[in-house]
Amino acid sequence: MAQPEGLLFSKEHEWLKVDGDVGTVGITDYAQNSLGDIVYVELPRVGHQIEQFGSIGVVESVKAVSDLFTPISGEVIEVNPALGPDSGLVNRDAFGAGWLYKVRLKAPSETGALLSPSQYDALIAEAAH
Amino acid sequence: MSVSSQTLRRTALYEEHLALGGRLVPFGGFEMPVQYAGILKEHDAVRHRAGLFDLSHMAQFELFGDGVAEWADSLTTNAVGTMKPHQARYNLFCNERGGTRDDVLFYRLENRWLLVCNASNAAKMWAHLNTRNDRRDVILSDKHGLAALIAVQGPAAAEIVDELDHNIRSIGDMKYYFCEEARLEGTPAVLARTGYTGEDGFEIFVDGRDARKIWRKLLEVGRPFELEPAGLGARDMLRLEAGMPLYGFELSEDLSPLAGGQGWAVKMSKPAFVGEKALAAQLAADDYRRIAGFVLEGRVPARTGYPVFSGGELVGEVRSASFSPSCGNRNIGTVLVTKAAAAVGTALEVEIRGTHHPAQVVPLPFYKRDR
Repeated sequence: MAQPEGLLFSKEHEWLKVDGDVGTVGITDYAQNSLGDIVYVELPRVGHQIEQFGSIGVVESVKAVSDLFTPISGEVIEVNPALGPDSGLVNRDAFGAGWLYKVRLKAPSETGALLSPSQYDALIAEAAH
Repeated sequence: MSVSSQTLRRTALYEEHLALGGRLVPFGGFEMPVQYAGILKEHDAVRHRAGLFDLSHMAQFELFGDGVAEWADSLTTNAVGTMKPHQARYNLFCNERGGTRDDVLFYRLENRWLLVCNASNAAKMWAHLNTRNDRRDVILSDKHGLAALIAVQGPAAAEIVDELDHNIRSIGDMKYYFCEEARLEGTPAVLARTGYTGEDGFEIFVDGRDARKIWRKLLEVGRPFELEPAGLGARDMLRLEAGMPLYGFELSEDLSPLAGGQGWAVKMSKPAFVGEKALAAQLAADDYRRIAGFVLEGRVPARTGYPVFSGGELVGEVRSASFSPSCGNRNIGTVLVTKAAAAVGTALEVEIRGTHHPAQVVPLPFYKRDR
């Protein structure tokens, strides 16, 4: 299962897309598939400062509650308004319309601690064993 | 890992689950599919078309002998002696304190009975039945793990089962909670019009060696009806919507049938039975904490164990909870609360990650099919 190019990944199965000083964050397709049908996503409010790898919210599937961690530090500038009425969007399009939030990066160099698409592929291949 | 997969048992349909992309989880000592295509999709199939379930993990005991009815009546809360051949009936075994050992189904056939117990209670129940059996006219046989149980549930269930090669005069005319000895696809089976989903449906008891043949045939003849394999995740959602208890949640060794909302299956007028005195005392005092249904406001789901408040007072906890497609995609569940807080209409608050979320007590079941 090849990961989309141009994204960076955390070991906690979040993805980050950097565009200038703004990062868009979501959970990976592998993560949404593992969780099953997602019925609720709890995200930090706009204006909230978040710290890399910190716990910042939860994803609730039909069967389980899972913590959400952030792959990068900064200020939350937008949360995906489509998820309120339709959190299943994360299942249907985890790397696209199912994005979670955008953050103004505090320390872009933090991306060095994240995984490339091929490194993330290796991580989930290992998890499958 | 503390639980080795080698200690888990597999049903006769294990390979079928793998081939269908089932996600297997430990349940009741077995590796069982929690889902295939997805819980919501499977739930939708059962409510509107049909779903196919492997329930072979459930404990199947065979009971023989002229004394079965009298003996079973001394151990259970609902009436067994009044069951006619071909009838199925829900029942409960209690401990001396009135707590529930297990909730079960009895199936009366011509010359034998089937008793289906929860997988998680299989060993406990087998021991209990044998300890309590000092009669020459009651013979018990453990078929757990050898016999398979396959359920077809949903509005198209009767049409699908009718597509099997069978010897039943009219599948469609079989009455709900009745069962027949049958031949399906050339093999002996018991066909029962029972289920745990709130839909019409059938449960098929076959020898484990015949299970794959029946399972595959059902998927084949069910294809035009859009029959889909369905896992334990969908089953839990379906049973909760239908207001049916799940052992370990609404019933337990500490929760009586009365507390668990199954008072309709406690017959105080029948001959003496285990737990009768304790249940009579509970009925008289009527002050026990009990199960009630609730609907949450908002989209945040509740989970088992979350504290429940009413008017600022802690009154109990959530026992089961689910997102409910059949209740307008709201979050529903059961709470175990004080008598006062269990009254329909009571305003509750469920504590979710430190925040109180408003909820209301509603009557059970949440969902009732049109008949």
